Amino acid sequence: MSQLAQYIAEKRQQKPILSMTHVVYGYPSVKESLDWMATLLEAGADFIEVQFPFSDPVADGPTIVAACHGALHDQTLTVEQCLKDIGQLGRDFPQARIALMSYLNPMYRYGLEKLVKRCAEENILGLILPDLPYEQAGELREYCNAHGVDPVWLVTPVTPKDRLAFLASEARGFLYCVARSGVTGNSNHNGKQQSLDDYLAEINEHTNAPIGVGFGIREKAHVDALKGKADVAIIGSALLDAYNKGGKEEGLKLFNSLFNA
Amino acid sequence: MQSNNGYYGEFGGSYIPEILYSSQQQILHAFEEAKNDPAFIAELKDTWQNYSGRPTPLTFCKNLTDHFGGAQIYLKREDLNQSGAHKMNNVIGQALLVKRMGKKRVIAETGAGQHGVATALIAARLGLECTIYMGAKDVKRQYPNVFWMKQLGATVVPVAEGAQTLRDALDEALRDWSSSHEDSHYLIGTTCGCAPFPEMVAFFQSVIGEEVKEQSMAQFGQYPDRLYACVGGGSNACGLFLPFLEEKEVEMFGVEAGGKGLELGQHSIRLSNGLGQKGIAQGFATMFLQDENGQLQETHSIAAGLDYVGVSPIIAHLAQEGRIQMTYAMDDEVVEACALLLKKEGIIPALESSHALAGAFKDAPNLPKESRIVINLSGRGDKDIFNIAKAMNDATFPDFLEDYLADYNEHLSENNNQGEA
Repeated sequence: MSQLAQYIAEKRQQKPILSMTHVVYGYPSVKESLDWMATLLEAGADFIEVQFPFSDPVADGPTIVAACHGALHDQTLTVEQCLKDIGQLGRDFPQARIALMSYLNPMYRYGLEKLVKRCAEENILGLILPDLPYEQAGELREYCNAHGVDPVWLVTPVTPKDRLAFLASEARGFLYCVARSGVTGNSNHNGKQQSLDDYLAEINEHTNAPIGVGFGIREKAHVDALKGKADVAIIGSALLDAYNKGGKEEGLKLFNSLFNA
Repeated sequence: MQSNNGYYGEFGGSYIPEILYSSQQQILHAFEEAKNDPAFIAELKDTWQNYSGRPTPLTFCKNLTDHFGGAQIYLKREDLNQSGAHKMNNVIGQALLVKRMGKKRVIAETGAGQHGVATALIAARLGLECTIYMGAKDVKRQYPNVFWMKQLGATVVPVAEGAQTLRDALDEALRDWSSSHEDSHYLIGTTCGCAPFPEMVAFFQSVIGEEVKEQSMAQFGQYPDRLYACVGGGSNACGLFLPFLEEKEVEMFGVEAGGKGLELGQHSIRLSNGLGQKGIAQGFATMFLQDENGQLQETHSIAAGLDYVGVSPIIAHLAQEGRIQMTYAMDDEVVEACALLLKKEGIIPALESSHALAGAFKDAPNLPKESRIVINLSGRGDKDIFNIAKAMNDATFPDFLEDYLADYNEHLSENNNQGEA
């Protein structure tokens, strides 16, 4: 069994839903971002999804795009330093797990094989690359198999049924279920869509892996609605909006209201 | 050029967020069907001819030929398309495909504004809703095009993210498509992006080279010895070059923007001098201008249509294979080439196309008198009037602008007063 899936299964014995909080590495500075991650872990976050910034984050909405550009504006960020920093964070908070999210190009330039090997060394067991579809990820999957790291596949409400079944069956650490169309953050999408319950029920039919749900989660009601249907609630833009508004204090207030209330 | 499952050698592919999978597959199938459907091809040709004015002429330039004393110089006149550039060939093709797929809205990115205007034109004609993403800096540099897009009924969204140029506009168009894919088509303007866009845009642009084949046979009984085209995203180059790929004796030259110099940020040279490196971004693998950490970098060219950070995977592959020879022209050489064409032939070229001229003019004097070269004049230069005047250091232009502005403001305030009275 995947180490990541095992971790989630064990933790779920104690909690109805786990939290994955998203933080952009290097925003507003490397030190502040690491400090913010530590604060979230102290508050009981089960996962940190660390986004290594890329200049052209096409799956992200305005909040995260601005943070990525801000992080890259006047400092040079390297994948190697990021892995060292978040590896240390993982050792400081052994009860939690860190997943790395980025876009393909910075990882490709660093070297995919080296990336997976280094992730394994730093106990970063989940890798989320939204612009690397399963079909194009042959090499990455091999490296991941060899090193015990899980590539995290995404499915969406418009993923065709047979593809959804396939991706769900291929999921190992967890399956990332995008809750709606569009990019991260506040949604202006108003297309017709099946209910989240039906969507999650269908996914559950096809996978043994834990289920994480993200995109558009901003309120306690959103988190509560996932209990019993998913394992991990992923919170990104809403948390960053709060952090931008009132720093760690405001961010923490949101986190606590979602997961510790 | 047929791709190998979306790849051209090691370039191309489809690296898109999962949310776009279904829409991308839909385009893939719709395009496969359409290009093999005689009714679709007939409608395409009819629209090219009766709306855009194809075929465009192949013009012999006697004065330029005498001036250089070498190769005989011909221009393929894509500047004579409706909208003033080759961009029209592609937007007509894709817009007809949109109708076929039953979608109601198109999204496009634009740099100089040529593709934005072309998209807005065809959207107006076919009754499609139209949203154009344009870098905020480009909106300022190319306001006349923005004006026309708005008059044509398009919504123009200035993109204030990042460097505020074409690449940011492309990111933002992809984001729009991620939330609107059910009823919207992303009408990409060049031979870039995820499969099948490079192949599809190249297919619609190949009418350029197909016509040159016929016209060169008719005018001088053989194919040209050399072809020249500027390379931004690569669509006019693909259009001219690809129909000649199997004609091994025809040499091909792609001219990139050398800008102000070869330091990173000063140019848009991705395919020569070791300046670009392979990367995967914006949906596909190609040569990008990027730093050692894989962050895409800013680019520069006097021609807004050439300062793109990546390049067509088709051109990247053919350049790597040595089938296309890549060169570049600096901003000042481009303005000189533009001025020379004005004086010698009475044709006003776009600054983008003037790169192809500059590249060809360097070689022309050294080529045999019996050799023939065809330069793709991808667009006309009317849109560049402000930039060209400035680059030529025209001293009288500011007076005109000041007088015009004073008159304009007076007119506005008179109308406002009448409104209040």
